[in-house]
Formats: sequence, C-alpha cells, structure tokens
Amino acid sequence: MPRLYLRLVSVAAVLVVIGAWFIAAKLQLVDPLFLPGPIEVMTTAEQLIDEGYRQVSLWMHILVSVARALFAFFIAAITGIPIGLLMGRSPIFNAVLDPFVQFLRPLPKLALIPLVVVWFGIGEVSKFVLIYLSTFLTIVVSAASAVMSVPEGRIRAAQSLGVNRQQLFRHVILPSALPELFTGVRVGIGIGWTTLIAAEMIAASSGLGWMVINASSYLRTDVVMLGILLLGTIGYLLDLAIVTTQRLMVHWMGKG
Amino acid sequence: MDDAVPATQATVALRNVSKSFVDRKRGRETIALSDVTLEIGKSEFVCILGPSGCGKSTILNLVAGFEKPSSGAVLIDNRPITAPDRSRGMVFQQPLLFPWLNIIDNITFGPRMAGAPPQQYAPQAERYVQLMGLTGFEKHYPYELSGGMQQRVALARAWISEPELFLMDEPFGALDAQTRLMMQELLLRVWERSRTTVLFVTHDIDEALFLADRIFIMTARPGRIKENLVVDFERPRNYETIIFDERYITLKQRVLQVIRGETLLAMKLEVE
Repeated sequence: MPRLYLRLVSVAAVLVVIGAWFIAAKLQLVDPLFLPGPIEVMTTAEQLIDEGYRQVSLWMHILVSVARALFAFFIAAITGIPIGLLMGRSPIFNAVLDPFVQFLRPLPKLALIPLVVVWFGIGEVSKFVLIYLSTFLTIVVSAASAVMSVPEGRIRAAQSLGVNRQQLFRHVILPSALPELFTGVRVGIGIGWTTLIAAEMIAASSGLGWMVINASSYLRTDVVMLGILLLGTIGYLLDLAIVTTQRLMVHWMGKG
Repeated sequence: MDDAVPATQATVALRNVSKSFVDRKRGRETIALSDVTLEIGKSEFVCILGPSGCGKSTILNLVAGFEKPSSGAVLIDNRPITAPDRSRGMVFQQPLLFPWLNIIDNITFGPRMAGAPPQQYAPQAERYVQLMGLTGFEKHYPYELSGGMQQRVALARAWISEPELFLMDEPFGALDAQTRLMMQELLLRVWERSRTTVLFVTHDIDEALFLADRIFIMTARPGRIKENLVVDFERPRNYETIIFDERYITLKQRVLQVIRGETLLAMKLEVE
C-alpha cells in the first residue's frame, strides 16, 4: 500500500467521525448538554480567545500547561538519561536503584497526590514533582534497558579495534542505545502530558487540565470538549516533534 | 597492483588450555575445551575445522582476549593475553558494522580511535576501499549494502589497523555459495601480500582446504584437537585447479573420515 493512500484513508476516517459528530449535534440526536456540536465548540474557542476562561486567556492556559509539561520533561530527560545509562553499565548501581524504580514506575501517580501536597504544598512545585516523577521513571528504565540490550558482538568488534572504556561508551554503546533511548523519551513525554491533568487537579487557577476540570463542575461541556481537543492535539504535536527528531538523529533505525 | 600490504606477524600458542562454562539450564558444567595444545607460526594461515559446538569459537575468544582459560596458557609471541586489543583483528560471522557510520567511517574506526591523523589513515582507507571493491560506496550506510559487501567492509575495517594476527569466526558462513567463493579468493589475494598470521574457524571443508596452510580438526564436546593436517598446495592458489588436484581429493577424504565420526558423536551428545 502506498503511504500517501494510507494517509488519505486516515484523513477520511477523521472527517467521517467529525461529520457524524456534526450531524448528531445538528439533528439533536444527543442532548446538547452532553454533546455540544463542532460549531458550538468552535464558537466557544473564539469566545475563550477573546474573553478568556475565568479571567485567563485561552492562549495563557495552553502556554501554562505546555510550559509545565515541557519544563518537567526536560529536567526528567537531563537527569533520567544519565542515571539510566549508568544503571545499564553498572550492575551495582542498578542493584541499588532498581527496586525503587520498579516500585514507583507502575504506581498510579494519582495515589501520590495527597503526599505530594503535604510535602510540597499546592503551588507549582508539587505539579512539577508529579510530572517529573512519572516522566523520569519511564526514561530511566528505558535508558537502562537500551544500554543493556547493546549487542555483545558489536562491543567485541569495537574492542578488537582497540577502543578504551570511554571510547566504547561514547562511540559504541551510546549510539547503539540511541534508537531505544528515543523510544523511551517518546513514551516519557506522552506519560508526562497525561500526568499534567493529575497535576493540575491540585488546586490550580490556570492550565488546560484545570480548565477542563473546572468547566465540568459548571456543566460547561463545550469548554470540556474544547479542552480535550486541545490536550489531544498538543499531545500529538509533542509526539510528532520527538518522532521527527528521532528520524533525523537515528536515521539508521529499523533498517537492515 | 604489487604494493605489498605492510604487516608484522605474530605467533600463537595454546598450552594445555581447558575452558568450562556453567550451563545454567542444566545446572552443570560444560567443558568447551579440554587440554588443547597448538602452535601457530608467523605468517601461517591456520583453519580450525569441526562440528558445531566443538569449541572452535571458544579458541578464538580466548586468543582475542574476550575470555580467559580455566587452566593452561594462551600466548601471543610468548606473552600471555590479558585483554582484547587492536594487534589482533577480528572478523565475525556477522559483519557487526556500526550502523550509524558510513562505510568510510566504519573502515577508519580503528585508526580514529587510536588518534591517528586523517592524512595518515585517509590514503590507507582509500586503498582498502579499492582492494575490497567498495569504490563508490564510501558514503553509503551499512544497511544500503548487501551481506557480502558488508563483510568486505568488516575485513577492511580490521585490516586497516594492520594487526599481527587475524581471528576469523566463520566470516563467510552467512553468505551464499557464489559470494562465499568470491570472498575466499579476495581474502587470499590480500592475505598473500600481507602474510598476516590467520586463525580461521570454519565448518566448511572446502573452505579450509582452499585457504589453509594447516588444518586442525576438532572433536565434539569436550573440544580437543584430533588431527593436524598440512595442506601444501602452492600459492597463489586457484580454486579451479586445486579442486582437481589428487592431493585435494586425498586430503578431503581424510577430513571427511575424521569429521564424520565426530559429527555422529556430536549428534549423539545433542540427543542426550
């Protein structure tokens, strides 16, 4: 199947769903309170851009959420990648950290909210901690496994070419681990974005997650729908950014 | 092309070498090598021939320095081996190229890691590109090349460091028959100029007879050297002539006799 053709099929599928949504709203098949139509959601979007939601403009909500997620994500990547790489290389270091990582990683981060609030208050710090923790753990685990899955044969080939320990790490293990590392970072940013909603449930006054939760308590389903659409679209764009970087930096991935 | 490929040549000696592994699945010790003693002289091309699982690759891994013997000594130029280094070039069954580097960067990997200046290794690399028939593919990436070409890159990558000893672990085993013959001829052409000492592991009898000065035939578990055959065809060798040589037929019969007994034994061991 040619790729362009498959793309067109995807676009058509999305248009069909939006069309069905449009018709369902137009014919009032579903109570507008439960399912506001696409037109209403667009009108709400215009209104929020002009007037803002709860005294904060829509752009500001988007900006705040993206900034929270990206900041925590970057710190998680900067700390998680080296720690994960080290865990992959040093069995002792791995033995020390692994039980904590394996305990925390599958733990639903929502369960941590009460503790995080007690420890860090209801400000930005606790939101950061939640997003950071979930992203960090994902990145650490995948960086460690990326290093451990470097083929032994490739390491031996490099050793017989005379590399020392630093060179082996820098010129063989690191590039070998890069494809899997990127996959981990990609999963990490997805999880970070997901945790955003949880983080913004902690007394916030701005952000897309907060906007959705706040609007739901006033039955403003149009705002909720808009928020969901924006959260999904931004999540998709973040993923796309990582995949594009991956394709540029790891051009050999999945070939031969 | 009569420019000799410069090289120094090492001698190899294994003295009463044994090697055993703990087999986790069966929870018992497997003896891979038992009391192996062999000597390889300067510039000798030696093949180790034997059924799978006879410990051929273990010998290579010991000489390369990837593994240590359980007992006995592995010596290069009468010095014990401590760790892998670039004086012993290795070519594996898989090309094991670095997929993020293009062909020329793969070939020059060794010199670059050793800190050699580009004006020194660039002309050398160009020569190996020519010798291995890779002209025009310098900027390609490994995944764009066929298996045979990738293996030629692996040969060039090992050869450019001018090792004193070549360790080859069934390097042509994964190639189709035609490509394999071409690669064997190419290897001999280049080797006849460098005369680097070679230890070449294979289970292909014709390959061993075509390439080697001497063939060690190994027994199945525990691995032992059973036979030490001298292959005295004149060099440069030509495949089409030597396969009709009477000595070739006698040698092949001898090898087959020894191998057949060993293979049956190995299969029996597998069944157990």
